[in-house]
Amino acid sequence: MAARISLRLRVSLVFGLGALVLAAGLSLITYELTRDNLLSRREESSLARVLFNATQVSRLIDAESTEQQLRDLLQNLYTPLGARPVIRFGDLWLSANPVEFSEPQIDPFLKDTVAQGRAAQMRYVVGETPFAVIGIPYFDIDAAYYEAVPLDDIAATLSSLLIALLTGSAITVLAGIGIGIWAAQRAVQPLTDIGEAAEAIAAGDLNTRLEGADPDLERLSRSFNQMASALQDRIERDARFASNVSHELRSPLMTLTASLEVLRKRQSELPARSQTALNLLTADLEHFKQLVADLLEISRYDVGAAALELEEFEIIEFVQQAARAAGQTPGVTRDPDTEGLVVRADRRRLAQVMANLLENAHNHAGGAAAIHVERRDSTVEIAVIDSGPGVAPADRDIIFDRFSRGSRQTSGGRFSGTGLGLALVSEHVRIHGGSIRVTDRPDGLSGACFVVSLPVNEL
Amino acid sequence: MVPMATRILTVEDDERIRTSLRLALEDEGWEVAESSNGEDALSIFRRQPTDVVLIDIMLPGVDGFEVCRSLRRISNVPIVMVTAREDTHDIVAGLEAGADDYLTKPFAPKELSARIRALLRRARTAEGPLTNFIFADLEVFAEEGVVRRGSQEINLTKTELRLLVELASNPGRTLSREVLLERIWGYDYFGDSRLVDVHIRRLRTKIETDPANPRHVVTVRGEGYKLQP
Repeated sequence: MAARISLRLRVSLVFGLGALVLAAGLSLITYELTRDNLLSRREESSLARVLFNATQVSRLIDAESTEQQLRDLLQNLYTPLGARPVIRFGDLWLSANPVEFSEPQIDPFLKDTVAQGRAAQMRYVVGETPFAVIGIPYFDIDAAYYEAVPLDDIAATLSSLLIALLTGSAITVLAGIGIGIWAAQRAVQPLTDIGEAAEAIAAGDLNTRLEGADPDLERLSRSFNQMASALQDRIERDARFASNVSHELRSPLMTLTASLEVLRKRQSELPARSQTALNLLTADLEHFKQLVADLLEISRYDVGAAALELEEFEIIEFVQQAARAAGQTPGVTRDPDTEGLVVRADRRRLAQVMANLLENAHNHAGGAAAIHVERRDSTVEIAVIDSGPGVAPADRDIIFDRFSRGSRQTSGGRFSGTGLGLALVSEHVRIHGGSIRVTDRPDGLSGACFVVSLPVNEL
Repeated sequence: MVPMATRILTVEDDERIRTSLRLALEDEGWEVAESSNGEDALSIFRRQPTDVVLIDIMLPGVDGFEVCRSLRRISNVPIVMVTAREDTHDIVAGLEAGADDYLTKPFAPKELSARIRALLRRARTAEGPLTNFIFADLEVFAEEGVVRRGSQEINLTKTELRLLVELASNPGRTLSREVLLERIWGYDYFGDSRLVDVHIRRLRTKIETDPANPRHVVTVRGEGYKLQP
């Protein structure tokens, strides 16, 4: 499935988009209204004056007016705010400011309209300055009066307004996204709570329940709580069952163990056949006891009743103790940075991990050849290396399965171990958040290398 | 004069286990008294001198924890708890009820004998080379197994006393749980550190003025425990 945009992001984006549309719409309307308003007010006020100027001009010129008279007339017109008067007299075009505004700057369309005897007004840009240009024709003589009223101050006002509006819009959009994030957070909160509760249950805190949930999510939280209770009941029932089984199995084993010890004390008094039978009984009782212990241990994982009992200890010292406890003397080598390295782990379970790996090495290779401890990023790796036949690549995953053939068959064809040893190793390591793998020996010699990788929490 | 045999009182409701244990323990050279429930056990304990008590946690009527607590009220006799479940609650509850050590069924009677010997050995060591000493505001009478604060007498079990003496004879040094397990309980490797932790807790409730914030028996994180004045 393609990556989906998260609910929160979507809500935030919708809010942002809404704010954008709203801000843009309002800004546009504000800008247009202000612009029209400013321009029409300027044009109205200009028009009255332009008409007055045009009347002045019409009163003072006649067919015999000289160019000099017209020029003087132009200079004497009242033209505030930089208005530019232009007079057409026959073919003669006269401008008060020929450089800034004269005949070539008058739009041909305006010229035509005025030439046809109609007063007209146009708004356009000359150079970089916007102008409102008004043209007024005369009827008794062949002349016309034009005046260009610059609108640059209005343009400046409008561009300031535009900047203000754009800034305001941007802030509105950001605020919209912010409110969107907040609202989405609020809306998603009940779901986040449910997610956290589910995670807590998955992590083993079975007492977790949802409380005071949003009325809209009441059905969900009710069924969630029912499910959690059902799960808790089932796990507790299973754990109780395992505990009872444990008691029921261990009690007869206790009698068997004690009675057999009494018999073994008197083994030499027994006939040869009885001695042989007693040896068989002893060997298989040991095997059976180990099997029951392993089954009970692994069943705790199955019923979800396995809980870590964490304590802090030095890993090197621990590994050395483990080797001594197994009655094996492999060299323990280590990287310098593991010196004094303290891990926080379940000591009993890790002791079983080491014991089972060493027993496995004993069964397949007569014992471990070496144990190597090294630090790798945020993990510590313990490698148990033997000099046996090694593990075929195809078997490397299945040997950690329960009762898998790979882990049980030895050269004599007689099964050794319970068939659960490596499966337990795998479970123990996994509950610590670590991993186990089997590889070839790093030095290329024949043998297996079991590597336990455990997370290290810096203390 | 023949020394009197060490006497073990077993409290176990399962008749077959009780009988087989008696046979095996007698083979190990102990004298065994049997009881099938807590009431009997207490009355036998009151009548006959007993060196070690072995209590099964799951008993009909008065359970093993209660038997243990009742015994602790009247005696400092070494107690070994026996449980058929590797349940951490059971183990910790048993130790907190006053047991000195515990075993999980099925155990080898040889292992039990070793545990008993360790418990008795330290009981005798406490009568041996130990001398009385003063520590902070505590007066320790090692031979009597008594600690005094002013006129107040604090009664320690042999294990608690041994723990205090072991820590006191290494002043200011941190002793790891493994070292304590080896020296006090006689474990070679991989003893249960809960044994140490619960005994430390018990010791604190007895000798610390504020056991929740211990001033003398302090935990050194990741390392162990040490005693400071």
